[in-house]
Amino acid sequence: MTSTNYDPRVLKALHPVPGAPDNWKRFFTFNTDAKVIGIQYIALALFFLLVGGLLAMVMRGELITPPADLVDPTVYNGLYTMHGTVMLFLFLFPILNGFNNLLIPTMIGAPDMAFPKVNAAAFWIVPVFGVVLLASFFVPGGPASAGWWSYPPVSIQNPLGHFINGEFLWILAVALSGVSSIMGAVNFVTTIIRMRAPGMGFFRMPVFVWTAWAAQTLQLIGLPALTGGAIMLLFDLSFGTSFFRPEGGGDPVLYQHFFWFYSHPAVYVMVLPVFGIFSELITVYSRKPLFGYKFVALASFVITFLGLIVWVHHMFYSGTPQWMRNIFIVTTMLIAVPTGVKVFAWLGTLWGGKIRLTTPMLFVLGGLVNFILGGITGIMLGTAPVDIHVGNTYFVVAHFHYVIFNTIGFGIFAGIYHWFPKFTGRMYYEGLGKVHFLLTFIGATLNWLPLHWAGLYGMPRRVASYDPEFAIWNVVASIGAFMVGVAAIPFILNIVSSWARGAKAPPNPWNAIGLEWLLPSPPPAENFEDDVPTVISAPYGYGLGQPLVEDEEYYVRRALEA
Amino acid sequence: MTTTNPDLQLNHRPGHIKHDGHNLTGFIIFLCSESIIFLAFFSGFALLKITAPEWLPEGVEGLETRLPLINTVVLVSSSFVAYFAERYLHKENLWGFRALWLLTMAMGTYFVYGQYVEWSELPFSLSSGVFGGTFYLLTGFHGLHVITGILLMSLMLYRSFLPNNYAKGEMGVTAVSLFWHFVDVIWIILYILIYVWQRTT
Amino acid sequence: MTSTTPRPSGGLPVRLLLIVLAATLLDALASLQIARASLGWLPVPASTAAPYVDQLFQLEVGIGAFIFLGCSGFVLWAVLFNRAEKYDESDGLPIEGNTKLEITWTLIPFVIVMVLAYQAIHVSETLSALGPKAKYDLEGGSNPVSVEQLDPIRNYGPIQVISRQWNWEFIYPNGVRSSELHLPIDQRANFQLSSEDVIHGFYVPAFRLKQDIIPGSVISYSITPTREGRYRLRDSQFSGAYFSQNQTDVVVQSQEAFAAWLEQAARNPLVPGLSPATQLYQDRLSKGDKGWATVKPAPPPLVNDPGIPDAPHEA
Ligand code: HEA
Ligand code: HEA
Ligand code: CUA
Ligand SMILES: [Cu+2]
Repeated sequence: MTSTNYDPRVLKALHPVPGAPDNWKRFFTFNTDAKVIGIQYIALALFFLLVGGLLAMVMRGELITPPADLVDPTVYNGLYTMHGTVMLFLFLFPILNGFNNLLIPTMIGAPDMAFPKVNAAAFWIVPVFGVVLLASFFVPGGPASAGWWSYPPVSIQNPLGHFINGEFLWILAVALSGVSSIMGAVNFVTTIIRMRAPGMGFFRMPVFVWTAWAAQTLQLIGLPALTGGAIMLLFDLSFGTSFFRPEGGGDPVLYQHFFWFYSHPAVYVMVLPVFGIFSELITVYSRKPLFGYKFVALASFVITFLGLIVWVHHMFYSGTPQWMRNIFIVTTMLIAVPTGVKVFAWLGTLWGGKIRLTTPMLFVLGGLVNFILGGITGIMLGTAPVDIHVGNTYFVVAHFHYVIFNTIGFGIFAGIYHWFPKFTGRMYYEGLGKVHFLLTFIGATLNWLPLHWAGLYGMPRRVASYDPEFAIWNVVASIGAFMVGVAAIPFILNIVSSWARGAKAPPNPWNAIGLEWLLPSPPPAENFEDDVPTVISAPYGYGLGQPLVEDEEYYVRRALEA
Repeated sequence: MTTTNPDLQLNHRPGHIKHDGHNLTGFIIFLCSESIIFLAFFSGFALLKITAPEWLPEGVEGLETRLPLINTVVLVSSSFVAYFAERYLHKENLWGFRALWLLTMAMGTYFVYGQYVEWSELPFSLSSGVFGGTFYLLTGFHGLHVITGILLMSLMLYRSFLPNNYAKGEMGVTAVSLFWHFVDVIWIILYILIYVWQRTT
Repeated sequence: MTSTTPRPSGGLPVRLLLIVLAATLLDALASLQIARASLGWLPVPASTAAPYVDQLFQLEVGIGAFIFLGCSGFVLWAVLFNRAEKYDESDGLPIEGNTKLEITWTLIPFVIVMVLAYQAIHVSETLSALGPKAKYDLEGGSNPVSVEQLDPIRNYGPIQVISRQWNWEFIYPNGVRSSELHLPIDQRANFQLSSEDVIHGFYVPAFRLKQDIIPGSVISYSITPTREGRYRLRDSQFSGAYFSQNQTDVVVQSQEAFAAWLEQAARNPLVPGLSPATQLYQDRLSKGDKGWATVKPAPPPLVNDPGIPDAPHEA
């Protein structure tokens, strides 16, 4: 493969030119192409997954024995605070925005986002606050260590009295993350509302677009509340106010309302796009239409709505009066209904399908099974009397890692493998992918399943040392965690080597239905440019024999020839 | 498959998607989101005001309402002025637009000045308990929005002098005056919460 | 032929129905076993609240296991029997949905979760552990002790529970102070929970009860212990550097033993109580104050009975 005879302008082009060697430098520029930004987001997020995972490995090392012998308790507190923050704000949100950038325009046939410059700016805020957050490890006194909830008064105690301290940087980082997310959300929602291909009515949009829309709506409604709370927290920490300080008449519990008003919906911001990924992949790899497409699409917005009115289930033991608990028990329980609609629709889609167990499908099925477990423990937490026993124990930690890593993490891996050929133009290695799946599934199960019992038995979370009776579960969990850490090796190997020298990917390697598969791999800068197909049927028409768009063969041929 | 004709390109109709003109949509979505911050501050304020064991700091009797009332009247009427400015623009009367737009800006500036005067005379500070904190936070955060509004308006004023810039209507002006009405409505709620509703004990 | 290709409409798929029935039965039996076992996953029940919580938990485990096993069993079945052959590129049955089925699986979960919600509210109201909460003015000098007593339903109390970074202090109505909480069995004891610095959590796993303690407020809380023994009592809401060490025991005694203890303790002189963080902080200072910043631990409270820190606890 020699590539010497290309016009130098081609090599410097902002977009990959089919056949030409990739100009990797564009990933380090203020590029406004959504596909470049998408890959930027995903690569940066994976880097932070490694950072957050590394912190978790140290934590699991500490927790393998009951006493606090590996690190000082203050260090442990900083580690888990930063682990939670890095994972949520620097891994999960960015990587999902990466998927939004890659998939929304290509799936709806738009050439780009509605506001490409805003889009690029939103991305470049991420490394900035990433640096701010990581810098807090090096300020005197160490990083924020009041947990990712950052509940006052602990979070505003500021023992050293410095103006610049870990907590200060933490609030700054979270606020910047909020700015970036709002810019992203405005962009995604506007794009979905205004830039769909001709003929693509709302009920012809792929489910991923529906879920992204529902999720970004939650961002728009929820994030400002967190920002408001964060501003007040910053003032309490640094400028002598007492919104949350009891000494000045403030109310620490008020902060909890601000925090959870956003941070509960945030979990649906994270899981909804993964429901989208599940819907896209289960149909392709079962070769069947999505069972009850309309129900599945609409259920996303039912989840959005219900997600906004359940936040107090994180505060059942905060002194919440009985009547308020009762309301939030009911709303929390209701979430099982639209979620169940989705789960059963996926099961219905599997039924009678022609299932192909490729790496992405394995991750989807593993993630789905894990999600049912994590969802059910969520329902248990939603009933206040049980929550009052297990709240703030490892049962909660096990619940949310089951949904956040064992479901969302799995869905993300599935999505990466599935769309890898589309956006890099290369095929990944199936064998390495399966090794990655097996190690991750076994490790994650060993890691999180036993910790449910530790929690039920009363093991508190956020402790560096614990009573010896909890040791057995923690040993198993740590071994599982290290296995998940090892699983990173085949994954990174796969991504790096197949991108560099994998087999060339055809436009539609999975024989999938969807506008993005009518584009060349990788798609050109403006996707369909000014030749956007007109959509004439609903998505996922597997086995129905109808074309998705007018003149489908023309587009198929065009993609092949590119 | 319905079409197997090799001469597809001949009868193929390329579709097109509008590339721009989404600014107003985006801006409205942003404003809705922005209003939630205020909603958060308002509900926090109300909750603290109802439940704090002590509300007014020592030596503070309550708030003077006359100056703020004048301020309120000025700000609220500026919204109407902005509306008529926009009407002029629609009728392509550029000078009428510029005059009323400038008047809106002047009224906004007067409001900020009034706030400044009020702030400088108050006997309590940001750190005077929840009362001081919430007062300065709410009025300050709103004030920042007013100043932003004035800056945006001057940008629009400047752009009205670019030749032919506003010939096809101007979304920027619509967006900014929307923002101005928003800032106005927020102030009315704020005025009621802070000045009209007094808690003395 | 119709019986082997499952179709939502069409003739009666008898074989399919039988398989589904058998699988459901199996699932139900397995879930029942799991639910039976689930009571063993919890610490010994030692309060009137425990049986209610445990039963609710057991019900949820049963239903949850049924749903989980059912769904994962289905996935497993599909993966085993609906796999595409190698090189089979064809599509599956193009079923696009079935409105009746969809309405069914919307309604059934709805009914299930509403039953659970009803149960949860019922249990929650039966326990009524949480009494009223009163804010007080920290700067105005009024301290929690002078806030009027909040909860009239009690057999014993109120016991002042004072939490700090990082130790516990319990003050009984007769003025006795202790580091471990002593309670008479079968008496509804009332606590006035207060904190001197940050939020702490009052948590006794064996009682299945937990309540955050909010600085600036006094919260009235009531518990009826039902089983003699020594159980863990710990801080459950993260409270800073030595949070993990902020634990002590609750000692449930017969009413006579409790009265005797109270009398004996009243005669004891005040000594520094349990405060493991104090020692750990000393160690840290002597090693050169490495690690990240922390506030200094509050000094140990002065108590009549400092307790037995190393005594084995049951749960
Ligand atoms: C990110 C993803 C995510 C998702 C999807 C969920 C989903 C749910 N979560 Fe979870 N949760 C978290 C992330 C998530 N959670 C995090 C991060 C925390 C802790 C934060 C912290 O403390 O640091 C948390 C904590 C948390 C708590 C607080 C516990 C405590 O602190 O004491 C509660 C309490 O109600 C709860 C409930 C739920 C419920 C009811 C759901 C539901 O949405 C689940 C619905 C799904 C199902 C039920 C399964 C599928 C449905 C069917 C198969 C239909 C049939 C089912 C029935 C009839 C039951 N979660
Ligand atoms: C997205 C969210 C997310 C994810 C993925 C994880 C993943 C993990 N978490 Fe998570 N965790 C949280 C969010 C998350 N966590 C949050 C919010 C908290 C609460 C914090 C608080 O209480 O305030 C928490 C708390 C928490 C605790 C409790 C701490 C305590 O209460 O004391 C523990 C303890 O075991 C733990 C462990 C782990 C482990 C072992 C993993 C493992 O799964 C990690 C495995 C990953 C790796 C080892 C990296 C592998 C890398 C790759 C596969 C790709 C790299 C690729 C390239 C660079 C190209 N976490
Ligand atoms: Cu819309 Cu370009
Ligand atoms: Cu929640």
